[in-house]
Amino acid sequence: MFEARLTQSASIKKILDAIKDLLNEASFDCSESGIQLQAMDHSHVSLVSLTLKADGFDKYRCDRNLTMGMHLGSMSKIFKCSSNDDTVTITAQDDADTVTFTFEAKKQEKISDYEMKLMNLDQEHLGIPDTDFSCVIKMPSGEFARIVKDLSQFGESIIISCTKEGVRFSTSGDIGSANVKIAQTANFEKEEESVIIEMQEPVVLTFACQYLNSFTKATPLSNVVQLSMSDNVPLVVEYQIPDLGHLRFYLAPKIEEDEN
Amino acid sequence: MGILNLSKLLADIAPHALKEHELKTYFGRKVAIDASMCLYQFLIAVRTEGAQLTSADGETTSHLLGTFYRTIRLIENGLKPVYVFDGKPPEMKSGELTKRQERRQEAQKALEKATEAGDAAEIDKFNRRIVRVTKAHAEEVKRLLKMMGVPYVDAPCEAEAQCAALVKAGKVFAAATEDMDALTFGSKVLLRHLTFSEARKMPIQEIHLDKVLEGLELNQEEFIDLCILLGCDYTDSIRGIGPKRGLELIRKHKSIENVINTIDKEKYPIPQDWNFAEARELFKNPEIAEINDLELKWGDPDEEAMVKYLCGDKNFSEERVRNGCKKLLKAKGSSTQGRLDGFFKVLSTTPAKRKLEDKKNTPNKKGKTSGGRGRGRGPK
Repeated sequence: MFEARLTQSASIKKILDAIKDLLNEASFDCSESGIQLQAMDHSHVSLVSLTLKADGFDKYRCDRNLTMGMHLGSMSKIFKCSSNDDTVTITAQDDADTVTFTFEAKKQEKISDYEMKLMNLDQEHLGIPDTDFSCVIKMPSGEFARIVKDLSQFGESIIISCTKEGVRFSTSGDIGSANVKIAQTANFEKEEESVIIEMQEPVVLTFACQYLNSFTKATPLSNVVQLSMSDNVPLVVEYQIPDLGHLRFYLAPKIEEDEN
Repeated sequence: MGILNLSKLLADIAPHALKEHELKTYFGRKVAIDASMCLYQFLIAVRTEGAQLTSADGETTSHLLGTFYRTIRLIENGLKPVYVFDGKPPEMKSGELTKRQERRQEAQKALEKATEAGDAAEIDKFNRRIVRVTKAHAEEVKRLLKMMGVPYVDAPCEAEAQCAALVKAGKVFAAATEDMDALTFGSKVLLRHLTFSEARKMPIQEIHLDKVLEGLELNQEEFIDLCILLGCDYTDSIRGIGPKRGLELIRKHKSIENVINTIDKEKYPIPQDWNFAEARELFKNPEIAEINDLELKWGDPDEEAMVKYLCGDKNFSEERVRNGCKKLLKAKGSSTQGRLDGFFKVLSTTPAKRKLEDKKNTPNKKGKTSGGRGRGRGPK
């Protein structure tokens, strides 16, 4: 039997909003330690990795390891039926082919439950190597979303170059080019509003706007986003989910055309 | 023609091996396209009001138009096509070719009849059936491809075999043809419907040989024998043995020789002088051009040459040709999106368990009914 209870259904709502554009369906691996989701989009360009720790839930019980394939669009529909401060309980029997979401309104005057059919999905477990990144940038997540959105109007891809002085986001397209430069914040009074750059070596990488824009759908989850980059390895965009875990996106860089 | 009913068999027994994707997910992939197959498609499909498109002096241009637009579409989606042209057909195919010739002649006769009767639908139908891809068509397309900066390969013999060899050597990602025998020739990945018209909105079918073999529970040699049993272009098959029975027999007896030794020859007569061994050899060691000598290079399109050739000689609209050229150049200039596959290692795959069980149940039921029908048909 599996049971997980969370006082704020909003967190899961936000997670679903952030990943349902990239993935149509995904498997949630539930174990004693928590819930994990790892899946690539159809074209294998980006990867979503979600970790929700067991102790982040108000109640968590998982007797046997369980993999639940869910259609994220449908799941999102169900969560849309709840209010943000509803308490949600996710329950499933061992070897069940359905999962139940129960929403309790704050004053407990209303209880609604939704049963959803599970899907059987092919699953590929990928080993993600630990990388020492050349550049790790922490910045306000809203700022990052804004920059990506602004630059997407001008080109299909964004070049992110990181040096000691700061990070430069640039793009070019039919109408011209655009550049946004942000510098490391001098005072660290408010960590949430500062830009912090840890750099071993400068890095320049190109990424598709389309994917970056999808990633920024996770902005409501966290005030801070962390970008980790190294030459020729995927970009990691990480959002911490307070008390619960994290949501990471990996994105393969664009490569310059070599002569065949 | 490929292998009779193989795709149906796979859909029943090894649904896992078939995947469908949209064209745009193939960006950055190099694919070897069976040119003869797609020229044939173009000659049949690219028409206005039932007639092939022609130049001012009445020469067909359907194949050029098809090649031009659909190649652009592939390149725009980030694919890197290389076309593979048929050489001389293998001797063993002569039987099959004679049959096709006969069918064409029949169609020709039917066409004449329909023309006399003035039946437009029939005329259209038979017009399509008499289509043949000639050397001249192929030469014209090669000329156009050169101008477009798209490489092509002249296979000494069968194009599918050459495509398969390119895949095996890792030169390209997949072989694109409708012929299932690309798998028999050992192509690791086969793409179908790649050069279909966009308007048909057909997703691309991707078939992985390793999954096929896994699903059928055969090795490559047994798979080749199964294909011969099902019916290939090169030799006869045993009458009365269909896909299901063929698979059963090969699974049990491992090779055609053993099958011949065990089956009831009264019920299933072995074809006279059945040269299955040679067909097998042809699938295993087909005549192909040395892969390492081939240089696949995607160059820049030559706009002026294309305008001169297509608009001057072939009556294409200049504006469209120039537009097409721009698309080619633009696609070439942009950087390619990388994939994560290279960065992360697949640790384990868990196929959908329950789905497999379900699928196993349904074909079984089907198998029983069709088996029943088969037995019913016997005494007639």
